[in-house]
Amino acid sequence: MSVEPFKRWMCLGCGFLYDEALGSAEHGLAAGTRWADIPADWVCPDCGTPKRLFEMVEIPYAPGQPVRRLSA
Amino acid sequence: MNTSFVLRAKERGYNKFLSTGESSSYIGGHPDATLERHSSFNFGPYQAGHRGFGRVRVFGDELFSGTGCGYNIHPHHNFIICAFVLQGQLTHVNTVGNIDQLNAGDYYAFSAGSGGKRCELSLKNEDANIIYVWMMPNQLLLPPSYSRSRFDAVAERNRLVTLVGNADGAVRVAQDVKISRLSSNIPMTLDYALSAKEHGVYVFAIEGEAFVNDTQLGRRDSTGIWAAERVSLRTGDQNADLLIIETAP
Repeated sequence: MSVEPFKRWMCLGCGFLYDEALGSAEHGLAAGTRWADIPADWVCPDCGTPKRLFEMVEIPYAPGQPVRRLSA
Repeated sequence: MNTSFVLRAKERGYNKFLSTGESSSYIGGHPDATLERHSSFNFGPYQAGHRGFGRVRVFGDELFSGTGCGYNIHPHHNFIICAFVLQGQLTHVNTVGNIDQLNAGDYYAFSAGSGGKRCELSLKNEDANIIYVWMMPNQLLLPPSYSRSRFDAVAERNRLVTLVGNADGAVRVAQDVKISRLSSNIPMTLDYALSAKEHGVYVFAIEGEAFVNDTQLGRRDSTGIWAAERVSLRTGDQNADLLIIETAP
């Protein structure tokens, strides 16, 4: 069974980025947490925009990013 | 996102925020400032229209009224935010390290990249009208940056001037988007050639009336066009001022 690639979601209120591969430990989301597994009432930790107003993006990272990487 | 449309001024999203009550920490000015936002695309509490246009997600025609009105300092990532001052004076502060004052004709591009905050205030007791355009970047978490420039409506009258994008004298941004302006006081017909056939073009009438192909635009009307290699822009005897955004799909 193929594993779905990790995806990236961007807040349309401020540009905050959620990368499934990285999670967001400071906001209680472990690395590998899928977007679908984040509660529907979750909001952007920076600006409070609702989860439904995020957009999945396929934009590559800038060189040297992300600084936070998955541990081996 | 990539279908053609005509959007009349009165069909745009509308939000009004007060500098008191629940939005008092977000909206600057006190006690009697009001911030009005007309959105061409879905933004914030307005979620009933077009999601965006190509790489553009926000097009806000905003009016700051009352001393100190605007947005208190707040965080961003990734978005490239351009502000075009039409009237009044905007004081812009950002965590790239800029404190800037912009008057009518001035504009900036702030790329929030890996993280930055900004503050937007009209410090004087005169209305400030500003157009905000937010676009996706072509790479995530870029180093934050800020650039500013000026559109001189008198010196650059009756010709198309590229303000943002890949052109001489324009502010460069990390995205395949070009923002131009045409301010005319004589009848003009201009053939706008898109730089790629898959691009789209969004034309917003800041002032006056104009025809975009066969579509007549009045003040603050706009139209988005896809699948065209060229677009005809036509102005009349009266002053006309157009903002033209060409974007990759």
